[in-house]
Amino acid sequence: MSRKLLFTLAAVFVIASLILGACSPSATATATQAPTEEPSATESPAATEAPTEEPTATTRTGAWVDEIIFTSIDEVPNAVAQIQADQLDLYAFLAEDPDTFALVKEDASLAFSNSYGSWDSILFNDAEFNNGKLNPFSNPKIREATNWLVDRDYVVQEALGGLGDARYVPILAAFPDYARYADLVRPLENKYAYNLEKADAVISAEMEGMGAAKNADGKWTFNGEPVVIIGLIRSEDEREIIGNYFCDQLEKIGFTCDRQVRTRTELAPIWQQGVVENGEFHFYTAGNFWPNLLRDEGSGFLQNFCPDVAGTTTEAAFTCVDELHAASQALYTNNFKNMDERRAFFATALPLSLENSSYMPIVNPISFFPRKADLIVASDLSAGVGGSTLWPYTIRWAGKEGGTVRSANSGILTGPWNPIAGHNWIQELNLIYATQDVGAFADPYTGLYWPQRLEKSDVKVLEGTPISKTLDWVSLEFVPEIKVPADAWVDWNGETQTFVTAGEKYPDGLTAKSVTTTTYPADMFEKITYHDGSPLSVADFVLLMIMQFDTCDPKSAIYDETNVPNCDTFKSHFKGVRIVSTDPLVIEHYDDTVSLDAEVQAGAIGGSQPGGANNWFPVTATGPLAWHTFVPAYLAEANSELAFSTNKSTALGVEWTNYISGPSLEIMKKHLDEAQGESLIPYAATLGQFISKEDVQARYENLQKWYADHNHFWVGTGIFYIDEVNAVEGSVVAKRFEDFPDPADKWSRFGEPKLAVVDVSGPAEVSLSGEATFDAFVSFKDEAYPQSEIDQVSFLLYDAEGNLVLSGLASAAADGQYSITLSAEQLSKLTAGSAKIEFVVSSKLVAIPTFASLEFVVVP
Amino acid sequence: MTAIAQNDLEQVESKPKKRTASAFQRVFKYSAARLASLLFSVIVAIFLTIIIANMGGYVDELRMGEIRETVVQAARANVAYRALPPDQFQALVETQIQEQAHVEGLDRPFLLRALNYMKNALTLNLGNAVRMTSDTGSKQVRLIILERLPPTLLLWGVSGFLLFFVEIGVALSLSRQYGSWLDKLFVTMAPLSTTPGWFFGIFLILIFASFLRVLPFGGMVDAPVPDNTLDYSLSLAKHLILPTLALTLSQVFLQIYNWRTFFLIYSSEDYVEIAKAKGLSDKAIERNYVLRPTLPSIITNFALTLIALWLGGPITETIFNWPGLGRAFYEAVQFYDTPVILGQTVIYAYLLAFTVFLLDYLYALVDPRVKIGGGSQP
Repeated sequence: MSRKLLFTLAAVFVIASLILGACSPSATATATQAPTEEPSATESPAATEAPTEEPTATTRTGAWVDEIIFTSIDEVPNAVAQIQADQLDLYAFLAEDPDTFALVKEDASLAFSNSYGSWDSILFNDAEFNNGKLNPFSNPKIREATNWLVDRDYVVQEALGGLGDARYVPILAAFPDYARYADLVRPLENKYAYNLEKADAVISAEMEGMGAAKNADGKWTFNGEPVVIIGLIRSEDEREIIGNYFCDQLEKIGFTCDRQVRTRTELAPIWQQGVVENGEFHFYTAGNFWPNLLRDEGSGFLQNFCPDVAGTTTEAAFTCVDELHAASQALYTNNFKNMDERRAFFATALPLSLENSSYMPIVNPISFFPRKADLIVASDLSAGVGGSTLWPYTIRWAGKEGGTVRSANSGILTGPWNPIAGHNWIQELNLIYATQDVGAFADPYTGLYWPQRLEKSDVKVLEGTPISKTLDWVSLEFVPEIKVPADAWVDWNGETQTFVTAGEKYPDGLTAKSVTTTTYPADMFEKITYHDGSPLSVADFVLLMIMQFDTCDPKSAIYDETNVPNCDTFKSHFKGVRIVSTDPLVIEHYDDTVSLDAEVQAGAIGGSQPGGANNWFPVTATGPLAWHTFVPAYLAEANSELAFSTNKSTALGVEWTNYISGPSLEIMKKHLDEAQGESLIPYAATLGQFISKEDVQARYENLQKWYADHNHFWVGTGIFYIDEVNAVEGSVVAKRFEDFPDPADKWSRFGEPKLAVVDVSGPAEVSLSGEATFDAFVSFKDEAYPQSEIDQVSFLLYDAEGNLVLSGLASAAADGQYSITLSAEQLSKLTAGSAKIEFVVSSKLVAIPTFASLEFVVVP
Repeated sequence: MTAIAQNDLEQVESKPKKRTASAFQRVFKYSAARLASLLFSVIVAIFLTIIIANMGGYVDELRMGEIRETVVQAARANVAYRALPPDQFQALVETQIQEQAHVEGLDRPFLLRALNYMKNALTLNLGNAVRMTSDTGSKQVRLIILERLPPTLLLWGVSGFLLFFVEIGVALSLSRQYGSWLDKLFVTMAPLSTTPGWFFGIFLILIFASFLRVLPFGGMVDAPVPDNTLDYSLSLAKHLILPTLALTLSQVFLQIYNWRTFFLIYSSEDYVEIAKAKGLSDKAIERNYVLRPTLPSIITNFALTLIALWLGGPITETIFNWPGLGRAFYEAVQFYDTPVILGQTVIYAYLLAFTVFLLDYLYALVDPRVKIGGGSQP
C-alpha cells in the first residue's frame, strides 16, 4: 500500500470517527435531554427499580456470588456507559448527576438504588459587623423571612434536576424522626413555602427598622452605601447553583450580591476560622452527609442554631433564644424521660429553629447507585450501596447462584488498611465490609440492628431512661440501679499489660446507666474461622477491649498521643466490661451512653475508639481484628518501623501500617517470622489466659501460609476474602469464603426496601354539617402492605390556607386498608372552600414515610 | 562521504594540536559555568515552586480550615461526644485540631518549613507526603512517584516515540511533495491540533468502547490482572491503543506541518540546490543536506520529548483512567500536598537541567560548526 493511500485512509478514518462520535448514542455525561421529574421522597418514595424475584431455597452457604472484582471509575457517566457496554455490573459510589440518572431510568437493562443521607443548606453569618456595614442577617426576622425567599421546589428542579427533595427543618425525610413528627413538620413546610412578596415585605420592614433605605434604583443602602451581601458559594457541586439562586433572589428584593464561588478548601478559612464580625461574608452554602441511617436526629438543633458545641467561629457567634436553647440541649443530651417528652421538645425546637434560621435547610439531594437490572444488592437509605454493611451478604444475580460481579467505586485503595487506625474513606470501607463479619447489622432501611453473629442481647437501663425496643432478639428491662461488678474491667495498665478492675479503681463502688449482656452461640468458636483457617477465639474479643486503652497509655509500646482525646472521651462514658462466660461467650458491657433504641444499644459500633461496639465482636471501624495479624504490625510499631495511625506515622516519619500492600508488608513479614520464632503472645499477661501454645503456632503458621498465597495480611471472618491486590493497576479481587457458615439467603429479604405506595380515595365534596370518610390503600408492588409491618397510618387535615387543623391516626380495616371518618364537629374546623387530607404511612420495615393526599371541596 | 562533508571534516581536523590543552580548559570552564548557572536556575525554580505550591504560606490557612472542618464533623457524628459538656466538647475539638496542625508542622513558621523543603528538595530527600498515599498505601513521595512512573513512561513514551518518528518521516516525505494534494491535506488538518488529546480521547472512547465495544474504556490492564506475562502484555497493549491514538491524533498534524515547513526551508538552501545540480540522489540529499544540519533541532525536540514523559498529562490520564504521574500531580495540587508537588518538580528540574547541559555537547558532536564555549562557527 502506498504511503499516499495510507495517509488518505488515515485522514478519512479520523473524520469518520469524529462524525460517528457525534452521532453515537448519548451514553455519557454529554447527554443534554431534560431529566424527567423525580417524585419527591416525602411525597412518594422513589421505589428502587430492582428485580422482585425472591431467592429460591438454597443449600449454599456464604456469598451468593463466587467473585467480586473491584475497580475504580471516577465519573458516574463513564460508569453507566460501562455498565451499558457490559464492562461493569455495579457502581457502588454515590452519584447525583440528574442527566445520567435519567439515562439509567430509561434503560431497561439497568436498575438503581437511592440513598437520602445528604443535604444542602444556607449557613448565615449572624454577627453584627464592626466595619460600619450592615449585616441584615444579624436580624433573626430577616433570616426567618429568607425561608419565603427560596422556592425549594424550584431549586430541586434547577439544581438537582428533580433528583432531590425540598427541606425545611433540620431532620431528614428518610430518617425515623421525620415520620415520628410529620404532624409537627408538615405545617411548618406549609407555613414557610415560597412566598416572595411576603419575604420582601418582612425583610423591607426589618431593613428599614435597622436604618437601611432603598435608593432610586431600588437597591438597599445603609449610610449611603449599597448593602452588599457576600455569598460564599461552593463550586464543586449543586451548591453553586443554589448559592447563585439565593443571590438572584436577594437581588430581586433590592440587595446587591457579591458571589464568591470557590472550593471547600478556599472557603473554609473564611467561615470556619475568620473573625465573623469583620464582615467577610454573609452566607455560606453548606452541605453534609450522614454515612449511617440516624435513628436520633435530636442533636441537630444545638449544633445548628446554638453556640454550645460550635466548631467554627461562625457557629460560635450564633444566638438562640432560651426556649430553643433549653429544648436543643435536652434533645442533644437525651435529657428527657420518655418519648412524649422528647416529642414536646421537638414541638418547641422545630418552629423556633425556623424562626432562628441561622442555618436554613434547602434540599436533600438524592443519590443513586446504578447497576445491571438482574443484579440484586442491599442499599442503605443513607449510605447507599457502598456504605451498606449488608451489601456483601445480599449481592447476587437474579435466579442464579455463583458468578462474578464487577463493581467500581470512585477510587480504590485510597489509603492504608489496618484495623486500629486505618484509612476509613467509604471507598475503602466498601471493600472492607466484604471481608469482615459483625456482631450485629444495621438494618439498611430502618437503622435498627439485627443479630448477625451474636445470639441475643439483654439491655438493662435505669428507670426513666427514654429507650424502647422493637425487635424480639433483644430484651429491655428498666431497673432502679446498675452496679458495676468489682471484677469488671474498667481501665488498663500499659506497664503490666493487665486490666484494672472496678474493685481496684473504685473501691467504693461504681454505677452505670446501662448494661448490655451479649450472648454468643455456643458453637461460635467451632463454626467461625478467619480466612486463613484460624478459629475465632475469646482472645480476639479481649484484644479489642485492650485496644480501647493501650494506644493511649504512655507506657505502651504503641502509644499514640493523638489518640488520647478519643480515649478520654471513651472513658467518660464507658463504665466497665466483664466476660461472664467463655463457653458460650457472654459479655457484660456497662456504659453511661444510652441510645433511644435497645437494638442500637446492643448492636452499634459506638464510642470514639476503634470498634467499641457494646457486643465486642472483634471488628473495628476500619476492619476485622485478629490477634495474630495484629502482632506483626504491633511489633513493627514498637520498633518504630510502622505506625497504625497517619498522625503517628507522620510524626515518626515512618510508613502508615498497611496490611494489604506496599512497604509495610515486608516489615510485617519480618516481624511475623520473629513472632513465630518466639511463639509470641501479645499482651501475654492478659491474653495468655486465653491463648494456648498450640494456638500460637497454629495461627502463625496459618498466617505464613496465607501471606505466601495471597501476599497480604488482611484476614477477617467475612463472607469474602481478598484474593488479589493490584494496587497500581487499580483492581482488587475478592472471592467467596467457602468456610463462611451462614446460609446464603440469610439476609436476602434486604434486597430491596419495601417502600409503601399509598392511594387515597374519598368524596370530592364534603358538607360541613355531615360526615366524611376517606380511605387509604397501602401497598407494595400492588399487594396490600401487611398490617403487621405497618407502624402507623396517620392523617393530617388542612384548611384552604394550608393550616393544619386536625391530625390523628387512621384505623385499619384489613391489610393495606385504612380509613378515617371525620365527624361534623371535626369538619367544622374547616371553612368553606378547598381543603386537603394527607395520609402519612410509617412502615416498620423502612424509615421513609409515605405521604399521599387528596384535595376536596368543603361546602356549608 | 560527500565532498562537502569531507571538506568540513578536514577543516576540523586541521586545527593545531597545541590548542588541545586550551580547548580542554575552555570546555571545563564552560561546563563549570554552565553547571553553576543551571544549578542556580534549579534553585530558583524550586524556590518558586515552594512559594507557589504553598501560595506564599496561605495554604497553611486553607489546611487549617480543612482540619477544623474534618475534626468538627467527626466529633459531631460521634454519639459518644454528646455526653460531654459543651465546654469539654469544644476543648476536645480544639485539642484535636491543634494536634493535627502540630503533626503536619503547621505550628512552625512557613519560612522555616520552606527552607527545610528547599534543603530536602535539592538533596533529593523527597520525604513523606502530607495527605496523599501511593497506590500501595505508602506515604513516601519517592514511592508515590515511582509507582506511577512506569505507566506514565509507557503511555507517553509509546505515544511520544510514535509521534516523533511519524512526524519526522511524514514531514520529510511531504517536504519532497510540496504543493501536492497530500501536502495540502496535512496543512489543512494542522488546526486539528488545537484540540487537546483528552478531547479526542472522549470521542475515541465513545466510538470504540461504548459504541463498537471493541476496546476498553480505560485502565491499564484488564481486571483481574492477567497472571502470565504474555496475557498481561496483550492486555496492556489493548489498553494502550486508545490513549496512544488520542495523544497522537492531537498533535500529529501540527507537528508534521511544523517539521515539513522546517525541512522545506532547509531544502531550499543553496548547498542543497548545488547537491541537486550535482545529481545526488534524493535520499542522499535528504540524509546529508537536509537532515544533518537540522539534527540539533531534531535532537533537542527528541530530548525534550523524553523528559516531558515525566510530567504525564492529568486530563488524558483521568479520561482513560490511566494510573500515571499526571494524575498524581493533579491530585497533589488539589490536596495542596507540597512534598509531592515538589518531588515531581524537582526531579523534572534536574532532568531538564541535565538535558540542557547534555544538549550543548550533543550539538557540538553532531554539528561541526558548534564549538563548546566558543560559540558557533559560520
